[in-house]
Amino acid sequence: MALRKITIQNNIRQLRDHHGSMTQQELADRIGVSRQTVNAIEGGKYFPSLEVAFRIADVFQKPLDKVFICELKS
Amino acid sequence: MNASFTEKSVWIQFVATVVALGGYFAVAWSMYARGIHVLVPYVPLFFAAVFVMGMILIIGHVLAAIFGKWEQPDERDRLIHWRSESNSAWVLVVGIFATVACMVFAINNVLVAHVLLLSLFLAQMYQFGLQIIYYRRGM
Repeated sequence: MALRKITIQNNIRQLRDHHGSMTQQELADRIGVSRQTVNAIEGGKYFPSLEVAFRIADVFQKPLDKVFICELKS
Repeated sequence: MNASFTEKSVWIQFVATVVALGGYFAVAWSMYARGIHVLVPYVPLFFAAVFVMGMILIIGHVLAAIFGKWEQPDERDRLIHWRSESNSAWVLVVGIFATVACMVFAINNVLVAHVLLLSLFLAQMYQFGLQIIYYRRGM
């Protein structure tokens, strides 16, 4: 059985805007990574570990699936 | 430069290795071509290359820390390091087999030592190249 293709997107940019225009550096400091890593996550160049993903969700007080959106394609 | 401290560190190591070991191989090749086929004359040249590399690394990292923000490597930095190291290991393995082949065919010590050093150099260059690609294009 062929595996279905998964694409993962995120709403981090919008969530930052809704949290008082939080900067990438502010978010980075709160989740313990560099600003460049936040930038790479937002741009879909890097998919974070579960730990960092949950930290991001915790900063925005949202469930994980409201921050990261997974689409399964057949 | 929009790069983390760890990415800048990779660029500094890349430049230091190219300048120091690249310079070493250029001079060593000309010595070998002039008929110097014993190892001893190459030793001071090698230590000079190591000194140059050390100086570039120290000055580069000090400047990067002064003009940027010093940060610990995060999970992305560690993943990029592990992946590039894993994907470049074969270059070193090929180099070691080439060195063994040189020894089997009784090629002189100077060439054997330099094939081994060259394989280390190329493996390191390949690893730095992969790291830079992963940082710039993503993984």
